[in-house]
Amino acid sequence: MRLCSVCCNLTAQDPCAVCRDSQRDDKIICVVESVPDLLAVERTREFRGRYHVLHGALSPLDGVGPDQLKLKELLERLSGGAVQEVIVATDPTVEGEATALYLARLVKPLGVRVTRIAQGVPMGGNLEYADHVTLARALAGRREV
Amino acid sequence: MLFGPNGQGKTNFLEACYLLCTLRPLRAQKLAELVRIDAEEAHLRGALSVDAGEREIEVTVRDGGRSARLDGKAVRDPDELFGGIAVVAFTPDDLWLVKGSPDGRRRLLDRAVQNQMPVHLADSREYLRALKARNQLLREGARDDLRDAFDVPLSRFGARIRLRRERLLDALRGPAARAFAQITREDASLSLVYQASGRESDGLGAEAALRGEGELEARLLSALARRLPRDRDRGYTSVGPHADDLAVSLGEQPARTFASQGQARAAILAFKIAEIEGLRAAQGRAPLLLLDDVSSELDPERNAFLMTYLGAIGGQVVLTTTDPRLVSQAAAQAMFQRVWKGRIEHVSAP
Repeated sequence: MRLCSVCCNLTAQDPCAVCRDSQRDDKIICVVESVPDLLAVERTREFRGRYHVLHGALSPLDGVGPDQLKLKELLERLSGGAVQEVIVATDPTVEGEATALYLARLVKPLGVRVTRIAQGVPMGGNLEYADHVTLARALAGRREV
Repeated sequence: MLFGPNGQGKTNFLEACYLLCTLRPLRAQKLAELVRIDAEEAHLRGALSVDAGEREIEVTVRDGGRSARLDGKAVRDPDELFGGIAVVAFTPDDLWLVKGSPDGRRRLLDRAVQNQMPVHLADSREYLRALKARNQLLREGARDDLRDAFDVPLSRFGARIRLRRERLLDALRGPAARAFAQITREDASLSLVYQASGRESDGLGAEAALRGEGELEARLLSALARRLPRDRDRGYTSVGPHADDLAVSLGEQPARTFASQGQARAAILAFKIAEIEGLRAAQGRAPLLLLDDVSSELDPERNAFLMTYLGAIGGQVVLTTTDPRLVSQAAAQAMFQRVWKGRIEHVSAP
């Protein structure tokens, strides 16, 4: 196994299956922290664009700065001009959020739209079964209907 | 009621009760202190009867962290324990809160908020992570864009934490002042005011909290930016709820410098009573009360007040004492447990 030379996914064959798939949308890249996160998004079958795996999130306390993440590789991909949107799907933690903000600052000047996945109560579940932390944060992040 | 000479393990039992219900230590500063020297881990198991039935909670403390299980299923935060169990503790450490460092008063506020709102613990932990990350970046001399990325979650959680503390104080202020008047029978009135860190130019004063979470968050963010040169020199973030304080005054005078020891203790007692009454009103039952040898620290009159109050509270109270006579007024329906060399033994009378 090695890292895909395009998206940094783990793969036996380079580039990885997602990057080789000609049916997928090149205009949109979903950025995730880890390979399991990529697989989780992939399982939704909702997303048909490309991925980029950062292999971590910014965490000064653990010595993880921008240079420890696969950010350079992402910027290289974006410099081609084909990508129109980057979806940041990092974890809803302080580190995940800081990574998303940092990334947005780098990417926006390139003329690429940067979005962040929504946080809140899982769909299909009952409100009463949502854990308190999730529900409280969903309330704090409420939106106009 | 647990009684026995000092050093036999009475406080340990209260520490265990507090940890089981709140997943945080009571008197210990760090979780690691709860593990016996030479031991690798501490393990606790407790059965709690709450509302409908009995639940089993297990907590393991290891490598400075803790893991918890509720009826065998792993839980991360105390709010997953039946939406949290309210626990109000009163220990000899509390008697120094008015005169001591702001740190203790912030903890007093945060514990009271957590009782009302268990999610506060998770948010405080996120805030602390963002704070530590920012301080680390300040010390490393990291680039601004990197530090900016942590300022955003820091100010968001910071605003939320401060507003919760302020709301709690708004609710406690009146009842605490009345309880204080009852305990002391003095004219000096107790006043509790949230004191935000920063100077007037930071715009974080009392008025900022009235403008809502979004505005407070924006002000915290710009205060962080304004203080950046200073913070960079010190390697420390100088503004935010981690640096705020609770100002306790008697009449017009700051209690920290002017209150007698007795008044300072009465102020804390009044705060706790207001907290208990607030929880009782909100949750329909009295919180679990843990009192650690407080009677020997109070003068006879204040002790009698407290014991009468406890005797009438109608909830569960666990108290420790070296002298069972001091707590007899609260002990009409008490079960007596003798604590000796780390063992607890049920006895019919002390």
